[in-house]
Amino acid sequence: MKIKLLRWSSLTLRFLSGHLLPILISGLFLLPLFWMLSASLRIPGTPPTRTLEWVPQPLTFGNYVSIFHILPLGRYLLNSAFVTLTGVLLTLLTASLAGFGMSRLGPRARLRLLILSIILQMIPVSALWLARFVFFARLGISNSHWALIAPALMGTSPLFILLFYWTFRRIDPAIFETAQLDGASVIKVWWHIALPLARPALMAVGMLAFFFYWNDFINPLLYLRSQNLYTLPVGLLQLQEMDKTNWPLLMAASVLITLPALAVFATLQRAVLWWDVE
Amino acid sequence: MTSSSRRQALLLLSPYLLGTLLLVILPAGISFALAFTRYNGVTPPVFNGAQNFQYMWREPLFRVALINSVLFITQAVPLRLLGALGLALLLNRARRGIGVYRAAAYLPTVIPDVAYALVWTWILNPLYGPLNFILAALGLPTPAWLTDPAWALRSIVFMSLFQIGEGFVILLAGLRHIPRELYESAQIDGAGRLHQFFHITLPLLSPWLILLSIRDIAVSFQSTFTPAYIMTRGGPYYATFFTPLMIYEEAFNNLRFGTGAALTLIVFAVTLCLTLLAYFAFDDWGLDEN
Amino acid sequence: MKARNFLLLTIFLLASLLPACQRAPSNQISFMVFGDPAELAAYQSLVQAFSKTHPEIQVELIHIPGQADYRKRLAADLTAGAPADVVLINYRRYAAFASIGALTPMDEYLSDSKIVSREDFYPESFDPFIWEGQLMCIPQNISSLVVYYNKDLFRAANLPFPADDWTWDEFLTAAQALTRDTNGDSTPDQFGAGLEPSLIRFAPFVWQAGGELVDDATQPTMLLLDSTEAFEAADFFFSLQNVHHVVPNAAEESAEDSESRFLNGRTAMYFNSRRGVPTYRESAAFDWDVAALPRGKTQAGILHTDGYCLPSASKNKDAAWTFIEFANSPEGQTIVAASGRTVPSLMAVAKSPAFLDSNKKPANSSIFLDSIPFIRALPVHPNWAEIEDIAGEELRSAFYGDADPYEALFRAIARTRELFVVIP
Repeated sequence: MKIKLLRWSSLTLRFLSGHLLPILISGLFLLPLFWMLSASLRIPGTPPTRTLEWVPQPLTFGNYVSIFHILPLGRYLLNSAFVTLTGVLLTLLTASLAGFGMSRLGPRARLRLLILSIILQMIPVSALWLARFVFFARLGISNSHWALIAPALMGTSPLFILLFYWTFRRIDPAIFETAQLDGASVIKVWWHIALPLARPALMAVGMLAFFFYWNDFINPLLYLRSQNLYTLPVGLLQLQEMDKTNWPLLMAASVLITLPALAVFATLQRAVLWWDVE
Repeated sequence: MTSSSRRQALLLLSPYLLGTLLLVILPAGISFALAFTRYNGVTPPVFNGAQNFQYMWREPLFRVALINSVLFITQAVPLRLLGALGLALLLNRARRGIGVYRAAAYLPTVIPDVAYALVWTWILNPLYGPLNFILAALGLPTPAWLTDPAWALRSIVFMSLFQIGEGFVILLAGLRHIPRELYESAQIDGAGRLHQFFHITLPLLSPWLILLSIRDIAVSFQSTFTPAYIMTRGGPYYATFFTPLMIYEEAFNNLRFGTGAALTLIVFAVTLCLTLLAYFAFDDWGLDEN
Repeated sequence: MKARNFLLLTIFLLASLLPACQRAPSNQISFMVFGDPAELAAYQSLVQAFSKTHPEIQVELIHIPGQADYRKRLAADLTAGAPADVVLINYRRYAAFASIGALTPMDEYLSDSKIVSREDFYPESFDPFIWEGQLMCIPQNISSLVVYYNKDLFRAANLPFPADDWTWDEFLTAAQALTRDTNGDSTPDQFGAGLEPSLIRFAPFVWQAGGELVDDATQPTMLLLDSTEAFEAADFFFSLQNVHHVVPNAAEESAEDSESRFLNGRTAMYFNSRRGVPTYRESAAFDWDVAALPRGKTQAGILHTDGYCLPSASKNKDAAWTFIEFANSPEGQTIVAASGRTVPSLMAVAKSPAFLDSNKKPANSSIFLDSIPFIRALPVHPNWAEIEDIAGEELRSAFYGDADPYEALFRAIARTRELFVVIP
């Protein structure tokens, strides 16, 4: 009896030390998301409470309907989806091509390119805004989705190229060489052999690129004039400008823009977070 | 290496190199040229020497913006790094439920920036926001956060501490690369956990930590734009007026693209210095091994 | 040619070699407006009416809610060389664009018009749009600052409604009576007034105290906020917040802004121009009306007007003018006035039932017309928007008690001084 109790309490202790802190930390990191959701369910215009409210009384889902009446959010949603999808696909293409190319360079050229990529990674984008704006205006793409998708041409972020490069470096080069000796072109090797071996990198870069294009606020703010081209982040800004302290509506729109990101994260997170668990 | 395989590698790299040329190198050149002009965006730019730099030297707001950005970086970068390291150490060991904990810690990073800024404007709402209710219940002081000039910048640092998912994942990868045998032999030698941390984990993790902090510095120069634009518009009394916001305002509010570009050059120079610093700290970057 | 100029030119030539975008078929124009959703509805009905009479021209409406963002959007579009064909700009902001040649003068268009002529407009709103002798925009309205008040709250407090000639003191007394702590937690839940601490709100108080805002109305070189009259205005204006607390403090304002508080029935009086009317008609669930600005030593009001402007880069100026002409014809102005958005700048429409309709709130609309003789305009200056931003930040600090009022005024003068000098 005594021994059993002792074992039980030592188990609890182990559980506490191993799980208590992680649970607390997880709870802490979930709070912003929870508060966003709970505030979005409040009836707008009602006198604010002076006590902490975990779940609003009474509850309403009406805010999710009214935001679509105030702004053409459906249109913005489609635009965001188009920009993000195109941006992600192009990014996967250019970044994996570049990463594969880099892994096939000689050691000196590779080091140089590596250093270049890391330096590029260090340049804050705000240092390029104005010049890119002037440049895109001359190109005639400033009021179009292409201005938002343009970064995909360079793989969006040098980090993505490096992720592919590190992946391809781990693969035995003999695999690629035999295929090429059999007469396959380098593009074929990349498509048929290299890419299937780089699934985790594809998933990780796909997820990060998704966040980049889905979250992008500055580029649409700078480039888009026509309202029918707007993406969701600019829609949120519009909503805020119309009534900057209408929290229920603002939070409902925030939930709306967060949900697709959450869905993508839920689908692809294993590649980024769980690779060592299985 | 044969010239044909070299040509093939270059073919594969060409979109990336072309994109870099068009989107980074050419804009950098235009920025450099514009910095020495007076340009209102409509009439052609006029060369005006170093006048933009002299203007910035005179204009107190420029100093305010630069100081705010540096203040933000010096507070946010170390704290974010510590947070990411703490998470990585805590959630490193594979065990039941670990995936859930890791996902939870990563979640705030998933929230799009504009929504994140709006959510924190609500959380930090001085009267009705949930944070101040909790602080009041705990008997702690309840500052006015974004409305109080003394707290506004700190508030933005504070909210940035929840978006550390990327650093956390990178450090998790770093921890994976430390050979287990090192810990085993240390245990045989009777070294305690703390000793192991300071003599094995930290030294072997340091290249990752330093790389991460440099990346975070560059990101932090940039990431203040959305919160400042959405939450405070640079206020109250310029307490959250950061360099990216100033570049944007100079160009598109005040039609001074020249000074905007000059400010751009300064941001360039500062980050370049930081990068070079990193370059001399690690000769070969230690990145080509794995 | 100097080497550095050559370098510059080369870079720009290289950039311009890239094909510029050719779009906009001749029958399509875009029209950019700012404002709340209810204001947008007014412009939507204007565009609809235009499409009926001019089916050959299609109008794309672009809506930017905030005025500050609107200005940035316009600047970005001008830089990109592709602005909207018709843009609505406030008289305090157009000079920045007119001074760099981004707007087309409209004198000839107007004199050729068979529908409208300049004599039809109130000169008070027409003249500020004349830049260096040329007409840059056609004003749609002649609004001014008034006090919107919640009649139900006045009744509940047993207060008489504001008289047309009420004074600062009477205003303050009413505001104090209407500031109430309804739930006994010793913080007010209902405020007497809502007032934004900005230069455009502060200016009429300076004038009413007998002071001047700038040293010269046409060639200003500095703000005159250090006069005894300006101090007198400041004493009254700032004390509303930091002495009498009839206006929310900074934290309360950021928690829920005054306009929302007014609309939710928790602020009794709100200072705004005519542009609030469409939203209040739609959303206010209480009885409300407008009162004249309370008087100081003298009576003075401040001009609010927006003009239809035609960017030089427009590829479709004739169609754009056709739209501007329609919008400012009696027919067009009647449509927008009926929505409540404007005090029409056409004298005939302003005196018509479209504006003075007593069945629609506010019942007291005539005070907008009565105050026209006392309306004064802010100076028209290319850097005015920036001057207002900086001065506003200083006024804010004094209003919310974070700075000494007079020192804030001195700082506003010092910090804006250089901006009055325009480099050509």
